[in-house]
Amino acid sequence: MNAANPLLPAACRIIGITDETPDVKTFRLQTQGGAKPFAPMPGQLAMISVPGAGEAMFSITAQGEDWIESSIKRVGALTEALHELSEGDAVGVRGPYGNHFPVDALKGKDLLFVGGGIGLAPIRSLIRYALEHREDYGKLDVLYGSRTTADLVFKEDLFGNWPQRMGTHITIDVPEDGWDGHVGFVPAYIEEKGFSPKGRACILCGPPIMIRLSLASLYKMGFEKENIITTLEMRMKCGIGKCGRCNIGSKYVCLDGPVFSMAELDELPPEH
Amino acid sequence: MMYLLKENFDKAREALAGAYAVVVPDEVLPPKDALFPRSETLYETDRRTGEARAAGAGGKTLLFGVRPCDARAIGNLDAAFLESGYVDANYAQRRENATIVALACAQIPSPACFCDSMGGSPHEAPEADVVLTEAADGSGYALDFQSEKGSAVAEIWKAADLIGPMPAHLEKAPAPTCTLKVNKVPDLAQKLTAAFEDGLWERLAEACLGCGCCTYVCPTCYCFDIGLENRGGTADTFRCWDSCMFPGYTQMAGGHNPRWSKTQRLRNRYLHKLAYFDERYGRTLCVGCGRCICRCPQGLDITRAVEWGERL
Repeated sequence: MNAANPLLPAACRIIGITDETPDVKTFRLQTQGGAKPFAPMPGQLAMISVPGAGEAMFSITAQGEDWIESSIKRVGALTEALHELSEGDAVGVRGPYGNHFPVDALKGKDLLFVGGGIGLAPIRSLIRYALEHREDYGKLDVLYGSRTTADLVFKEDLFGNWPQRMGTHITIDVPEDGWDGHVGFVPAYIEEKGFSPKGRACILCGPPIMIRLSLASLYKMGFEKENIITTLEMRMKCGIGKCGRCNIGSKYVCLDGPVFSMAELDELPPEH
Repeated sequence: MMYLLKENFDKAREALAGAYAVVVPDEVLPPKDALFPRSETLYETDRRTGEARAAGAGGKTLLFGVRPCDARAIGNLDAAFLESGYVDANYAQRRENATIVALACAQIPSPACFCDSMGGSPHEAPEADVVLTEAADGSGYALDFQSEKGSAVAEIWKAADLIGPMPAHLEKAPAPTCTLKVNKVPDLAQKLTAAFEDGLWERLAEACLGCGCCTYVCPTCYCFDIGLENRGGTADTFRCWDSCMFPGYTQMAGGHNPRWSKTQRLRNRYLHKLAYFDERYGRTLCVGCGRCICRCPQGLDITRAVEWGERL
């Protein structure tokens, strides 16, 4: 972050683009000087700008020695402009913003990662962290669903890297030729797998309807609100708690979030 | 105590024009524009490299004739932009360069004024560098120089021979009291937050047109949008005032809007003024200037929410 002016982006460029699905691309970014823009904690955010088009806030899904990555779904004007960019093109990056997943408080626990659609992007930063600090955490499981196989993001992780290192449970909404995996919605699949709430925390992110029904399943299975953690999305302009729009009550999602436990969200107005 | 004769009032303002860009706020719009402009360029970006160069944020300004409620509002902006969390660079630069000369209210300017119900006073402006308070006989102003910036103003006025010691027989006129009395209970913030689901919010918002006028005339509304103006090889990123009363304010690209109804938006605005800001910064954001009451085309009145606290 620019210490003198936190609204000023650093000049960066795209050094890699992965087509995840027909409308999701993962952009690997580094500074024009070849360095990592900053070292985020899992769950933190980056404001990414397209010179001449504008900027928007995204979760950071992964980081390496000299890069950070964001997976971005094409939904509006700015993401459309981002999707038109190629390797080598200039972008601006500022951050990191927000709190992060409680990596210390989660130590010693079994972790159940539940994602739907692009909702796996922020969770992936914590999955990667837990795999890098494997000895700190208990059993790891990821349960992920999308509409069709074409909409599954991070296929290399889902079918290559993760099944060897953690429980990996993938489902699609409707049957499809050539798919012999699970078919059905995420909430029902969570119950079917029967994950015990004992010593386990669930990290949940996905579309609102999936969140609502998954929460009902998790509560039914005995998960406590303190042990269900989610990460929120809000319209943001500044990222530093000034511009106003990402508030939920007196909290700002860009500063006090985006990561909240369900117990914390219960204390706030239902405006997210 | 130094003293300025009324006949020298205009000369005193003019004497400052050499050292400062002097801004004289009118009664309709608050002076926040001088510190937090309705639109300002933040930086210029080279579209090829993404390199961003911060734009300057102005030179020395002096706000002349700021009302005590508006000075208090600047204190609230300071809390939001400077004193808690990240420092906003542009606001910091303009604020550092700004001198505030307040004019205590000799008469209450508007029947909608209620600063003394919100913890302020028509005569006190601790945030100001200089305060002019009318003498009881109306012949001139008692001068309180309250900071180093204020002393610099005193030097200019002394050099121009415009001020002198206040005659011994004179004293400051007593502070007038606001005609609009609003009973604000001490635990208003907690009470209103607890009444989040109450049906009164809908009734308060019923007539609202969503025009956003209240937010533009408010001395403490500081929400902003960040946008971009393309200039070919470069692009200017600017920020401008925004309004929480507009549905697009929280509308996300994917279609979801956490505050889709006008009741949600009005409730959020009133709670920000009367509860949320207090929870975060320990100050009530609304200073009781009354502008939103006077200017609302539908006659919406924030004091209804304040007084509601009595019945909760």
